[in-house]
Amino acid sequence: MPVEECSPAIVLRTRDYSESDRIVTLLTLYAGKLGGIAKGAKQSRRRFERKLEVFSHVMVYFKRRPHGELVFITRAEAGDLPPFDLTDDLGKIAIGSYMVELADALSREEAESAGAYRILAASLGAVARHGASRALRQAFELNLLRWAGYQLEFQRCQICARAPAENATSFVFIPSHGGIVCQHCRAGQTDTFVGLSAPSVAALAQLNSMPVEAASGAQGAGRDAEAALARFMATILDRKLRSVDFLHRFM
Amino acid sequence: MAEGSKQGQGLPPAMTRLVRELSRLPGIGEKTASRLAFNLLGRPREDVIALAEALLEMKERIVLCASCLGLSDSTHCHICSDPTRDSSVICVVEGPADLMAMERSRSFNGLYHVLHGALAPLDGIGPDDIRIKDLMARLSGEPPVAEVVIATNATVEGEATALYLARLIKPLSIKVTRLARGLPVGGDLEYSDAATLTSALSGRREI
Repeated sequence: MPVEECSPAIVLRTRDYSESDRIVTLLTLYAGKLGGIAKGAKQSRRRFERKLEVFSHVMVYFKRRPHGELVFITRAEAGDLPPFDLTDDLGKIAIGSYMVELADALSREEAESAGAYRILAASLGAVARHGASRALRQAFELNLLRWAGYQLEFQRCQICARAPAENATSFVFIPSHGGIVCQHCRAGQTDTFVGLSAPSVAALAQLNSMPVEAASGAQGAGRDAEAALARFMATILDRKLRSVDFLHRFM
Repeated sequence: MAEGSKQGQGLPPAMTRLVRELSRLPGIGEKTASRLAFNLLGRPREDVIALAEALLEMKERIVLCASCLGLSDSTHCHICSDPTRDSSVICVVEGPADLMAMERSRSFNGLYHVLHGALAPLDGIGPDDIRIKDLMARLSGEPPVAEVVIATNATVEGEATALYLARLIKPLSIKVTRLARGLPVGGDLEYSDAATLTSALSGRREI
């Protein structure tokens, strides 16, 4: 008989199933990303306390099924972090939705994902406390990409490894190289690139070495940096994130 | 339909077709569809004809009300056509079922607007995908509207929709209100969850 396990978790996605059940995707601290079915979630306030909503931080209790893809979620309680209350502002909802969708896209079912959980928890907490900002979004993207194995480079040319000249005013970011490339090395490259201004490169370098919690007060990089990161993510994700249009419209 | 063909093994084609059509309905799986099909098979012919006629009549007669976009069997629904309703107050709901729930309460005497959805960033549903433009056209036309009551669900999608509507409507000098959230009538404080109690506290009022 399967034993009951538990873990802190963040709700990434929900889908109503039948009259009272709900299918939920969770990013957990100890059990990776999990898909689960919560029987009676829409009715049982005793077992679920209406906690299985997107952005909720919960302590989830579940049992694995021997032959099923979905675990049985037996109950959910309030997590030990302050609630991520994002529903008082459209910008917060927009960036929060983008964050959970990106975390979902970059994590795999049941693979170790404690790092992604911590980055997402810190990011949603920062959004709830300080509101949506470009710096927070970029710090989240860079931190999560690093967790997923994509360490982007903004301080040295990805081909010759030299630091760019101090008086350089513009740079190119080449997604296939995962970082900036100096003007000298760029000459022989045929891969697509995105132009970056010097202030954007400096801001990205700073955000890249900063925990998400500290990013709310930091200077965000410009629209060119947004385009560069988006272009890079398009090369590693198998689909366009649905929340991106909403994010652009409301943040 | 591999499962379906397994289920359909041994059944005459007419039954297989019925099971297949029923199982396309939400919440109806193969087994339930088979049970329904056998139940219908065992009923008198007139019962089955009545069901088939009801389905056809629903499909042919039910349209969206030209004013509130609720379900109607005429150009304007019975609520919008009722002269005793207060046309200066519009209650915005996500779907026709929400309208029916509000009507069951018998505590609202204004008109409605049905959005047919809610903003859902994670599903890629934006303002242009639900009936917000129709609402804005209504608010800028006749009769004049003094208040819009936003009765979208207390979910992330419902809150996003409410915030967006408030942003659009407030510049029109129309009062925008949101349904209160809190303790259910007859509910014990002891058994309330933290989120409900927080909402109830923040929405408390002087007595």
